[in-house]
Amino acid sequence: MKICAILRVVPDLVEDIEINEEELIPFAYIANERDEHAVEEALILKEKAGGTVDVLGVVDEDTAGDIDDALAMAYAKGADNLIKAILSRKTYRRYEVAKALAGFLKDKNYDVIIPGIQAIDAFAGTLGGMLARCMRIPYIGGAIEIEAQDGALSVKKELGGGLLGEYRVSLPAVVGVVSAERPLKFVPFARLKKAMKEAKVEEVDVEVPEVEGVKVTRYYEPPKPEITLLEGEPEEIADKLVEVLREVSVL
Amino acid sequence: MNILVFAEVIENEVQEITYELVGKANQLADKVVTLAVGEADVNSINSDVIQVEGESSPLNYVVVKKVFEELKPSAVFFGNTLAGIDVAAQFAADMALPIATMVTDVSVDGDGFVATSVAYGGKVMVDLALKSPAVFVVNRGSFPAEDGKGSAKSVKKLDIEIEDGIEFAGYIKPEVEDIDISKADIVVSVGRGIGDEANIELAEELAEVLGGVVSGSRPVVDSGWLPKTRQVGRSGKTVAGKLYLALGISGATEHIEGVKAKNVIAVNIDRNAPIFRVSRCGAVADVLELVPLLIERIKEVKGE
Repeated sequence: MKICAILRVVPDLVEDIEINEEELIPFAYIANERDEHAVEEALILKEKAGGTVDVLGVVDEDTAGDIDDALAMAYAKGADNLIKAILSRKTYRRYEVAKALAGFLKDKNYDVIIPGIQAIDAFAGTLGGMLARCMRIPYIGGAIEIEAQDGALSVKKELGGGLLGEYRVSLPAVVGVVSAERPLKFVPFARLKKAMKEAKVEEVDVEVPEVEGVKVTRYYEPPKPEITLLEGEPEEIADKLVEVLREVSVL
Repeated sequence: MNILVFAEVIENEVQEITYELVGKANQLADKVVTLAVGEADVNSINSDVIQVEGESSPLNYVVVKKVFEELKPSAVFFGNTLAGIDVAAQFAADMALPIATMVTDVSVDGDGFVATSVAYGGKVMVDLALKSPAVFVVNRGSFPAEDGKGSAKSVKKLDIEIEDGIEFAGYIKPEVEDIDISKADIVVSVGRGIGDEANIELAEELAEVLGGVVSGSRPVVDSGWLPKTRQVGRSGKTVAGKLYLALGISGATEHIEGVKAKNVIAVNIDRNAPIFRVSRCGAVADVLELVPLLIERIKEVKGE
């Protein structure tokens, strides 16, 4: 089976993000967590069904270097080929990105393309479903388990509240992963370092079409919490929390 | 103006978010039509209803497309759910319509719309201007459900053929739980801030002195530190007891959707963590430093 996992970078929320009306200026970028699960699930599917896993890193010019560690990590875990698609411009519109990637992917003959179900910056569409429509192949998101079955896929999809749906999906298809069926594999630092040296990344420039219809009018911070936060020495905070637990009749 | 609402129907039941969407649509439009796929009882939806036979499937974008072409609405509302987003993204892309996701508010602005989205794990708000017709994928809990409940103005049944490619094979019910966190009165919940699997013990000890149970956010369950049955949020359980004590949980929208406890107390090292916005009390502290002290104090108070 020829598998392609999609890997993106997003602002690291542990670090500060500068917010002004026109733009966001993140301090650092990290791999999109759901995409890390997509890569893991792609590798699990390869283990089960055989074949190859290509990892397609999707970045723009500003973030082109920020994905290298995550690509090396995928290589260390068993990815066969690494590709870095550098988009010609930044875009929050997933439809534009989907159109651009569909153009790149259309003659690559992948049986299954696996992105993470969403990224934290997906406020104007989500990639998986849009990519599938641009490529005119089936899509299913929310996947937590993918099995190859008689030339098709059997996919377990989350439906909320612990309920799952089971679906048979014909190939080729796009499957959006929410969580891999096992925890992300740990890679020792020495192996990662070796992968960073050895991994070869094919870079391709991808032209993104501009589509009208949605524009950001402003970015801003959400309202501050209405409560007064307890801060200071942990001993004092613990005492105050005990008082609150009494107020709510837990103690 | 017409608005089409795509109902969230799971196991042949209309889900609460549908009424939230219908309520908002009724405020904005003269005519609202709700499209429900499945055998659900649709009589309490406060709008006209079109009911189509079928199952929850990503292929339902085809059904939405056919109804959209017939009604020509100015907007289509979907719930930001695991089923809704599959359909919404495909429908918008197939029709090349503008789409806003993670939406918490929608208003009409001249010929178009303004949507507010909450993105970046709840740390950034974004206002978007969209041309009409547009697609909105709305977060659960953004609008009151009461406004969308009433009696259906009309119910029209339609047969719509959908293409092959995805076949629904059936539902898989959640595993039988060791402990049902949705029925617990006191829940101590851990997030990424707990740091390591070994530290789950701390939360268990705190839960024990409080007479509660331990749950977790998605990253903790994904890491295999807690079983899936203990997950709180969109994909997991909803907790609705007396206390939800969130330890090192940032409070992304998907998580908050599962928190309906009367009192939320949050401990987080990041004073900008979105969890504080839904908390009755918040402490800016390192969970690993604070929790042992808290356990000690509680034991003192209880005379243990």
